[in-house]
Amino acid sequence: MTLLGATLKGIFRDRVFRGLLMVLVVFAAIPAVSTLSMRQVVSLCLTLCLSLSSLVLLVLALFLGGTVLWRDLDRRYCHALLSLPLSRERYLWERYAGIALFLGLSALVLGGMTWLVTSFVAAGYPPGRPILWTVVFGCIALDLLKCLLLVAFAFCFSAFSTSFFLPIFGTIAIYLVGGASQGVHDYLRSSAATDISLAVRRLADSLYYLLPNFSLFDIKLYAIYGLPLQTSQLLLSGGYFLVYTLLLLGLSGWIFARRQIP
Amino acid sequence: MTEISFPIKIHGLSKVYRGKKWQRVAALRQLELTVRSGEIFGFLGPNGAGKSTTIKTLVGLIRPTEGRVTLFGQPAGMAGARQRVGYLPENPAFPDTLTGREFLALVAHSFGLARQQGLMAAERVLDMLDLTTAAGRPIRSYSKGMVQRLGLAQTLLHDPDLYILDEPMSGLDPIGRALVKDIILDLKAKGKTVFFSTHVTADVERVCDRIGVIVGGVLQAQRDVAGLLREGVEGYFCRVSNCPDKVLQPFGYKGRDDVVQELFVPRDRFNDFASQLFRSGGSFDLVEPQRRDIENYFLSLVRQAGEL
Amino acid sequence: MMRRLGIFAFFGVLLTLYVQLLGPVRQVMEQRPFVEKLGLIPHPQALKLLFPDFRALLGATILGRVTLYFGGLVEHFDDPRLLVKAVDYPAMSRAIHTAVKLDPYNMDAYYFGQAVLVWDVGKYRLANELLEYGMRYRNWDWQLPFFVGFNKAYFLGDLEGAAKMYMRAGELSGAAMFKTLAGRYLQEVGKTEMAIGYLETQLAGARIASVKKVLRLRLTAFKALRQIEEAVDGYRRRYGEWPLGLEDLTARGMLAEIPEDPYGGRFYLTEDHRVRTTSKFSLTLGAGKKKKVDVTPEETLRDD
Repeated sequence: MTLLGATLKGIFRDRVFRGLLMVLVVFAAIPAVSTLSMRQVVSLCLTLCLSLSSLVLLVLALFLGGTVLWRDLDRRYCHALLSLPLSRERYLWERYAGIALFLGLSALVLGGMTWLVTSFVAAGYPPGRPILWTVVFGCIALDLLKCLLLVAFAFCFSAFSTSFFLPIFGTIAIYLVGGASQGVHDYLRSSAATDISLAVRRLADSLYYLLPNFSLFDIKLYAIYGLPLQTSQLLLSGGYFLVYTLLLLGLSGWIFARRQIP
Repeated sequence: MTEISFPIKIHGLSKVYRGKKWQRVAALRQLELTVRSGEIFGFLGPNGAGKSTTIKTLVGLIRPTEGRVTLFGQPAGMAGARQRVGYLPENPAFPDTLTGREFLALVAHSFGLARQQGLMAAERVLDMLDLTTAAGRPIRSYSKGMVQRLGLAQTLLHDPDLYILDEPMSGLDPIGRALVKDIILDLKAKGKTVFFSTHVTADVERVCDRIGVIVGGVLQAQRDVAGLLREGVEGYFCRVSNCPDKVLQPFGYKGRDDVVQELFVPRDRFNDFASQLFRSGGSFDLVEPQRRDIENYFLSLVRQAGEL
Repeated sequence: MMRRLGIFAFFGVLLTLYVQLLGPVRQVMEQRPFVEKLGLIPHPQALKLLFPDFRALLGATILGRVTLYFGGLVEHFDDPRLLVKAVDYPAMSRAIHTAVKLDPYNMDAYYFGQAVLVWDVGKYRLANELLEYGMRYRNWDWQLPFFVGFNKAYFLGDLEGAAKMYMRAGELSGAAMFKTLAGRYLQEVGKTEMAIGYLETQLAGARIASVKKVLRLRLTAFKALRQIEEAVDGYRRRYGEWPLGLEDLTARGMLAEIPEDPYGGRFYLTEDHRVRTTSKFSLTLGAGKKKKVDVTPEETLRDD
């Protein structure tokens, strides 16, 4: 068994997947809630499905990303694991890959549920515009990438933190800032913001370029309203994710390899 | 080249921790230690003396502040150096969602054992440590002693040449302690090298070839156990018969009416006593060496270091 | 024994207290003013920055609250005169504007805005601003220009603007009916007829009971209007002269009785022989007399 497999197994044994299946019951309520809409039942259904999927993935990413390394250190599993002929970097990356695999699996399940529920609703209330399934699944895939990026941040924080506060709350902060950064950037570029001082602009600009830009991973409106999406945007988001995540994982490995495990 | 033959070589090892309020705490000072191949080395010291720090440096969990630590000639801290090492952490804990068998499979994989080979090795060590019935259960359901035994199983799994055991007997019941001692002696018979730490001197006497005593981060002494035991003999408890009291009285014997004659003879006068006994026509029924044990030796070293 | 009794007493007392509290809690909650029921909605920009991932969900949630709130008032619709007092239009307007700031594609917002805000409180220009904002996003949707065109033609008298909107709706829907619409507005009877057609279109897609009720009420009013208009025309044809007042229609048997304006106004005949009502089919004018409802949101809509 590899550490990747052990990580995956551990997540399953902690009944996380069972918890996810419980959440799927909520999906069953979506068709009923969707009929509250006056003119866009299918759009509301997609809104609810995609938002629920997004939320579930986010919670999983924060929970797993923030606690897996911390638990190894806190419960001193790492003494047994890191003394194996396994480099620290390898240990960290296999742990990450295990979580990534689980999140991917969750995204598949959530995507399947979205498809099931939305198809059911669309059969009863034909949508005004055709549902672009590729964009819908692309939306969940990008949500997944965003969550994987967040897990990488959580790992980076875990690599030097001794408690789970920094991994969890630091990652939440990254999530909030990363989501708002595009909005702030646009605001500062607009005419409404002429009286804001240069120092604040500089700070906002450097944060904008330094921190992840999660707006790149948000195509919910495209998916909900069937707006056409360019493949190039998806590719750009994917490339951005890849580069950023590899940077973070490399950094985490470098930090973790230098860490003392007393 | 000679270094390579040594399973463990520690040269000038110092470790300074950053304590609270940026205080610097020296956990180890200029440690020099070599463990030879095929040797059972007992690492003795009171709690907090630096035993665990030394061991964690050996397996790469801690980086030395100063000095050089090698395992079979490879710098400790590199993943490859641990390939020939089985390590048992102090009060070990293992990912508790896995079963014992799964954890062993994980260990086998990381040591590069083939799947089938790993499975067979796992069953062998599970059986050796009486864990076969529990092997399919998650580790979170194990008792403390079972976890400790699983820890030992995990060190034995890939049949390494060097065993680094941190307090291997702690948390075990008398049967478990006996089992561990047997395992260590068995390893010795196979020519393996064992380096283990303990704060219980009784553990050391039966199994160790050599001991090192560490107090306050400084290695106070390294001794050969056989020599130590020989030196430690202070005299002999003797039971004799058919011996006139006047022969015995100079050795502190207070005559009694019973048939049994027992007395303590100091080591330096034993030969004298024996020749007098034989000359007077008496004979030995029983001779028992009375030694100052390792515990006393250990305590005296601790006392010298000013820690007691 | 005493210990067990104590435990029973502890839980017994607390459970009794809890049951006792339920009644008052429900009463207080039911008596809360409507603004509180609809709830205070945070600034859309703040919501967008805080929960960028969930902006569509937040928009839908806000509209859901508006729909539930409006739906909960369904019993008031039996007496439309009380409706305007019961409904908190400014709060609904704010909510709808917040919702479209969060999710500019949400059709429910535009539909609800048109079906309820425009007619009941008569804020035609505000409604058109909202709809035109929506047209920039839902650029495939023929309903938005259809609504704008109707507002322009019927309420604002901007026939040229209306014609442009109907052409746009016609292009988007591919249906021919819009092309003939503008022309029919030139006739008085055609105007009423058109409104009836418009309302029937809206009613066909309505699924919420309260919205349905509002639309039916409005349809009833327009059908009453059409009945009177037809009677006036018939009077003119039969007697060769215009009636001087609506009483003439009943007196000479053209109508059994003057239909009632469900909005609480009174139908009358103008100097130029047109039928009007004092309520102007608006709840604010019909029932509230001098009550003025301001539904203008604090912030204008703009692209961002």
